[in-house]
This record gives sequence, structure tokens and C-alpha cells, in this order.
Amino acid sequence: MEATSVVQLDQTKAKDECLNLSLRPLQVSDVDDFMVWASDEKVTRFCTWEPYTNKEDGLNYIKNTVVPHPWFRAICVDDRPVGAISVSANSGNDKCRGELGYVLASKYWGKGIVTRAVKMVVDTIFVEWPHLERLEALVDVENVGSQRVLEKAGFQREGVLRKYFILKGRSRDMVMFSLLSTDYQS
Amino acid sequence: MEVDLSKITLRPFKLEDADDFLLFAGDDQVTNYLRWQTLNSKQEALDHIKDVCIPHPWRRSICIDNCSIGFISIFPFSGEEHRFKANIGYGVAVKYWGHGIATKALKMAVPQFFADFPDVVRLEAFIDAQNLGSQRVVEKTGFQKEGMLRKYAYMKGKLRDMFIYSFLSTDLPANP
Repeated sequence: MEATSVVQLDQTKAKDECLNLSLRPLQVSDVDDFMVWASDEKVTRFCTWEPYTNKEDGLNYIKNTVVPHPWFRAICVDDRPVGAISVSANSGNDKCRGELGYVLASKYWGKGIVTRAVKMVVDTIFVEWPHLERLEALVDVENVGSQRVLEKAGFQREGVLRKYFILKGRSRDMVMFSLLSTDYQS
Repeated sequence: MEVDLSKITLRPFKLEDADDFLLFAGDDQVTNYLRWQTLNSKQEALDHIKDVCIPHPWRRSICIDNCSIGFISIFPFSGEEHRFKANIGYGVAVKYWGHGIATKALKMAVPQFFADFPDVVRLEAFIDAQNLGSQRVVEKTGFQKEGMLRKYAYMKGKLRDMFIYSFLSTDLPANP
């Protein structure tokens, strides 16, 4: 009995790792796939925004925020968008720093997809942005899943910033993670 | 030199402070860990007081016998999402270092600031990893060290590690 369930678990894990994952720009034509995760309140729980309720808003978001964004990619399984990952840019004395954010349709949670996507971003961002020294991410203290993603992707936990952020009207403690270009090289 | 800490007061800057202001703002040792460039002349001091200190949302002169020997600057962030946070910076003339003046001044400033800006819940300080003196000042004032932010920002052309500290409005001692 035990031997069988162990074999089944390994097969599921192997299937997840075989998922054909890619990153590409998110386009206006992807709006229906976008709405799948953007309208899901499980997904938006730790996002600053409320779930999207109409396609018009989705189109506007893609046109006005995604398209001009310095670095925004759809996370795709078999070339269909199931989430998104982005790096923000700063200027002046803060140019060395970029902030990582990501979101994934809940149906695809628990398969290691975001960890793989983060690793793909890390593999390319320091090359595309040679001025980038530090990639950081801020995660709600209650968002344990997201903290595990960053730990598995090799980020260092630097500390908890108290009442750092106001999420949907409530102040939240956030965990600060970072990965330096020098961490990545070694 | 003996310093009577009960003689430390805080007040807004005046143009008349220009000479005293130049004594610390014109000193590289004071401005070393600040974003501002060291000032070079009385005119620059006058301009800085007029253009930066006076219009500032919360900047105070640290005074002994009403003479300016330093400054405390607290800057609330702008925008709906960030105005509940503020950033603190300060400096004291080198001649007055080592007497607990900055700590005394900060201990006076923090509750005053929270009273003046009731929407602010988090006051944060970014202190260079090598600036041990300033780390001690904020710790004695009651700021909590939250972590070290590696290669966080450029300061005067060099990439710096910085400790981030915070003092929340809820950290203030309850009124008796």
C-alpha cells in the first residue's frame, strides 16, 4: 500500500516538473486568460487591488500598465498565460534596486510554477539590467506560500518591516527578501 | 565641555541661523551619511534655509541656548498608499558629538512629530551599516532594528548596505 502511494506521489511531482513553462509579454489578446486569475479573490488576497469584475477594466490594465511596464511577463503553461511576474525599476540613487512581484491562477498553485518562474527571471534580469545590484521582494507575514517561493529561489530573508504597507485599509507587517547580483553569480 | 541636556530645545529654522547652520552643514563629517552635498558658503546656507528648511513639512533646529547646532528632519511620504509612513534624518555639529544630544533631541522630536501628523503610523530610519554612532542614537531613542538591507541604495556615488529601523506610533509610551 505504502509503496504504491509513494510511486503515485513521485509521478505527480514528475508531471508538475514537466509542465511546459515559459515567460513572454502579456498582450491585449490575452485578456480572457488574465481575467481568470485577476477575478479570483483567492489570488488577490494579498494584492493591493480588488478582483476584476469586467473585461473592460482588464483591457485597460493591460494597455495602460502592462504594456508600458519596464519588465512584465506572462507566466505561461503550454503557451497559455496562467499568471504574471514583473520587476519594477527605480531611478537616481535607487537605480540599483528592483522589486519583484508575481501572481498565479489558483488552479496552478502548489506545483512549483512560481519558483521556476522566479528562477527564470533571476537568470535573465541581471543580464538585461546590468545596473541592477539588488532584486527585492516584500511579502505579507501571513503569505507563507510566497515566502517559501522566494526561499526556494535563493532569496535571503532580511527582516520583518512593521506596518510597512497598507493593504485594503489595514496596516500589514511585511517580510523583506533580497537577491543580489553577486549572490546569483556565486 | 559640559553639556546640560535640559538646555536642548527644538524649533523651526530662521534665516538668522545661517552662520550656525553653515558650521554643521558645511562640514563633511556631518553630511557624510546624508543625501545633501556639504554647503560651501553663507549664501548657500541662506538659500538652503529659505528653500528647504522653512517650507519643509517637519524640520527642526536642534538648539542649545537657542543657537542652532543641528537639525532633525522628518519627511512623510506622499501619495495615498504611503502617507502613513515617514522618514527621519538628522545631524549635529561635530563639536557637540558624544554628549547624548542627538538622542535627547530625537526623544523630544518623535512624540511631537506623531502628534503633528496623526495619520503617520510608521517612522523609519535608514542608517548606513558603517554609521555605528547613528545606530546607537536611534536604538537609545527606542527605534527597533528590523534588518539589514544589502546594497540598498547609492549614497554619494557608493552602493551602501543600510540598516532599517522603525518607530511606530504604537511604540510611544501610553499617556499617564
